[in-house]
Amino acid sequence: MTGTTKPSLAARVPATAAGPDGPAAPAGGGGVAAKSAGAARALGGRVYLVVAAALFALAGAVLAGDAAWPGSWTWDAETPLDELNRWLILNRDSHPLFLYFLLHLSNNVNSAVDTALAVLQGLGWPGVTVAATLGAWAAAGGGTRPRALTTAGTALAAFAAIGLLGMWPHAMLTLALMVVAVTLSAVLGLLLGLAAGLSDRAGRALRPVFDTMQVLPAFAYLLPFVLLFGIGTAPALFATVIYAAPPMARLTALGLREADPAALECARSLGAGPWQRLLTARLPLARPRMLLGLNQTIMMALSMVVIASIIGAGGLGDQVFDGLRTQDIGKALTAGIAIVLIAIWLDRTTAAAGERLEHPGAGTGRAAAALPLAVTVAATVAAWLLGRVALGLGAWPDGWTFSIADPVNDTVDWMVVNLGSGVPLVGGTLTWAENFTLWVLNPLRDGLTAIPWWALLPLAGVLGFLAGRLRSALTAMGALAAIGVLGLWDKSLNTLSQVLGALLLTLLIGFAAGIAAARRPLLEKLLRPVLDVLQTMPQFIYLIPVVALFGVGRIAAITAAVVYALPAVVRITTQGVRQVDATVLEASRSLGATPWQQLRQVQLPLARAQLLLAVNQGVVLVLAVVVVGGLVGGGALGFDTVYGLQRGDLGVGLPAGAAIVCLGLLLDRITQPGRDAAPGPGTGRGDRAGRSRP
Amino acid sequence: MKATGQHPLPRQRADVAAPEPGERPPVFAVRGLWKVFGPRAERVPRNPALAALPAAELTARTGCTAAVRDVSFEVRPGECFVVMGLSGSGKSTLVRCLTRLIEPTAGAVAMDGEDVLAMDKERLRELRRHRAAMVFQHFGLLPHRTVRDNIAYGLQIQGLSRAERRARAEEMAAKVGLTGLEHRRPAQLSGGQQQRVGIARALAVDPEVMLFDEPFSALDPLIRRDMQDEVLRLRREEGRTMVFITHDLSEALRVGDRIALMRDGGIVQIGTPEEIVGRPADDYVRDFVRDVPRDQVITVRSAMRPVGPGDADRDGCAELPPETVVADAIAAVARTGRPARVTDRGGRCLGVVDHERLLSVVAGLDTPELEGTAT
Repeated sequence: MTGTTKPSLAARVPATAAGPDGPAAPAGGGGVAAKSAGAARALGGRVYLVVAAALFALAGAVLAGDAAWPGSWTWDAETPLDELNRWLILNRDSHPLFLYFLLHLSNNVNSAVDTALAVLQGLGWPGVTVAATLGAWAAAGGGTRPRALTTAGTALAAFAAIGLLGMWPHAMLTLALMVVAVTLSAVLGLLLGLAAGLSDRAGRALRPVFDTMQVLPAFAYLLPFVLLFGIGTAPALFATVIYAAPPMARLTALGLREADPAALECARSLGAGPWQRLLTARLPLARPRMLLGLNQTIMMALSMVVIASIIGAGGLGDQVFDGLRTQDIGKALTAGIAIVLIAIWLDRTTAAAGERLEHPGAGTGRAAAALPLAVTVAATVAAWLLGRVALGLGAWPDGWTFSIADPVNDTVDWMVVNLGSGVPLVGGTLTWAENFTLWVLNPLRDGLTAIPWWALLPLAGVLGFLAGRLRSALTAMGALAAIGVLGLWDKSLNTLSQVLGALLLTLLIGFAAGIAAARRPLLEKLLRPVLDVLQTMPQFIYLIPVVALFGVGRIAAITAAVVYALPAVVRITTQGVRQVDATVLEASRSLGATPWQQLRQVQLPLARAQLLLAVNQGVVLVLAVVVVGGLVGGGALGFDTVYGLQRGDLGVGLPAGAAIVCLGLLLDRITQPGRDAAPGPGTGRGDRAGRSRP
Repeated sequence: MKATGQHPLPRQRADVAAPEPGERPPVFAVRGLWKVFGPRAERVPRNPALAALPAAELTARTGCTAAVRDVSFEVRPGECFVVMGLSGSGKSTLVRCLTRLIEPTAGAVAMDGEDVLAMDKERLRELRRHRAAMVFQHFGLLPHRTVRDNIAYGLQIQGLSRAERRARAEEMAAKVGLTGLEHRRPAQLSGGQQQRVGIARALAVDPEVMLFDEPFSALDPLIRRDMQDEVLRLRREEGRTMVFITHDLSEALRVGDRIALMRDGGIVQIGTPEEIVGRPADDYVRDFVRDVPRDQVITVRSAMRPVGPGDADRDGCAELPPETVVADAIAAVARTGRPARVTDRGGRCLGVVDHERLLSVVAGLDTPELEGTAT
């Protein structure tokens, strides 16, 4: 699921730790790994294996030429899917499954969203703003401490800006969707987390499910729900709930499992029963983790609520989507800014609450926590009475808005004319895009398609085997074969070439920036706030500026993917290089190693596991956005999915979605960082891998 | 040489300890206790051939590890019973078997004559709630609770009302010297203070016996000393039975009335500090106690010789009670320049220590002869 928002990274890290066994040593990173002769021999063997598979593929490409997946081995999914769709449309209002179950679900969800929206509208803008601001203040502990005041200030500024931008009604709809989606995800995640945390069997059963969900791009979740519910609010919400629940479940389980054994043993030694242990020790000890999970669930829900506008969720996402579709960058950007503001408000508020839990101060008793809450409720009621009831203030007044759409569109036009091409020496953004397409993307795509399927399959198998032994090899080959069977071989390879191109850029920039930040504290200090903001934004948002710069096409999708994946890669790299054992580094320094030698001989080899994790994260994140790039002309699988979603043409959309899932599995399995890569679930170090907090 | 306060000084031990056995049943009576970890662990104690194997061979043969092997001892009411051994010797497992935090594989554990292993869940919970309270090496405090609520935790589990348990917690906080810190969180306390909370939490339930599992190992040496004093003080004031696990010999000698020395899961020797230091059961124990300043541990009771014909002249002789440690006897002999007489409370002369006897204790030459003369 990390496929999608970066906050989910945290939940992902422990997951990879428990991934398929076996050390990972892809050819490139392997050379630095080991000094001992035995290890070196083993490494040599691996390199030969990869080289052999690659040569085989190359030879196949040259000798056999263009050998795509044989047409007779494909299975036509379109016809049965179309039939299923037709059947569903005919029976949606009459079949018992719908009458007694699914329609109830969607009706309840719809009315819940309506109620939430009615409450928000009923509060009026003064009420909502006061509630959001003071809620943030209370979450950060209240009082006059700086953290509480800045959090409240952020909330106030965010809502004022949303109003000023004229996005108030759309924002309220998005918020109403969020309220329902987050509530449902949190409850679902909590229940699953309790099960996985308390029962070993449930934990074992759920872990692979969560692991797989983490690598699937958000897009893949939409289709099945459209199939069942048609287009509208309900499928969007259900997709969001399913998408956003895992971090909560995962971190709840983690918190329950890693609770201080001494404290639990103490509870037992004092004669506490199982329920007493759970309620007085285990759950309270897991609380900081659970709040972190809630934070991630909220951020993922926001990301998905925005994306789900494609299937009729409405709200801010709809504005972005509309703007992108009609090339109205100004409109898209206005809504995008509003989304980012909401994201920042939610993130800062929940993060402040989490931090307060983790570092409880002296005066944070129950009474001290209740007071700010009471103040918040009282002030909200007062604002409602004064604003809505007495003065009749409902939605944000029209007179208080100003549109930035026109100036933005003018700027974009200017940029296209002046920066697009013909800038002396550097060329221009459009020129770059053309050149990158011509010299990197097209050769990559043509190269991949030139490799015969019977050579590509073993190559995937070898890479999977090196990353995670037999199981990964089989999964990788199975996924690739499934793509072929679905009849989407060429399109998938096209998407794959985009992913690889984007990954190349991401890793080049990400490793360089990560290593530089690890070695220069000042640089890290400067980067940190930038990365924080970047990691808060939903993936959809990244498409807006790149379309302005690069026009519609593959390059826009790739650039968005790079920007989206970079923060995580930079963070993990920095962290990996940083956390190298200080004594080893000191030893090498005492032997007179130069900084370059230290980096090459000590820091990079010891950070190898983290670097591999960065690659894995990069792949998964890049894929998510490359696929969403179907919206802005990325073509291939992403386009098919979008087309299928918008037209309700499931015969096209679902196979494409399935192929995306397969591609995600394939890429994840061949880049598994292995067991030694990430901290085990017990160490609790990984949860912040993707994020830093001030 | 006179190192008062520098090293274990069990000077008044003799009068504190040794409540006459037989008066009350032992607090804990452990017989033939085994704890084996691993597949089909129960076969190891049953099979004499397996039971006799050394640890490494047992693991190789069966995949099992015997953490506690065939251990028997009694903890008498009011005494501080120390279990000492290096890490991995099984002492922490042993203490957990007493309240079945770890389920023993074989053997018998009785508390006040009642079979602990036969207890049902309810009875066992009752035992843990009211009769035996434990203090942990890593404190086991709940980070989200204040000091006061941590101390009151055991009472909360018992189901006491909030007002009652808070009042009791305040009382306990005062007793262990945490007054004024009741509203802090554990993270805001030093290590020593955190362990005071742990001790107060155990004391709060007013247990019959307190189990200390390496309580001070995680603390700095100076603080450790303070905490040992604290334990000695609590013991003096309350006379509570204690089982104390430690890997630190000086700590064992300092707080223990009797010490059980463990190695590889078995008990090598049980005895008073003086017996352990003065008459090590084997080379392992001898090695262990080699650096202990013997004059601080061994008393004149074991160092004296019978009154001989040359001791008739009592002029200027110092009179020492039998529990005087050798270091103090040396001071007395040096002061008077004459052998000192060891007398009991009634003034009866039990024996004589002269500089030869005292020097041989210091030099470590006394052991063989002691075996003959000691009571």
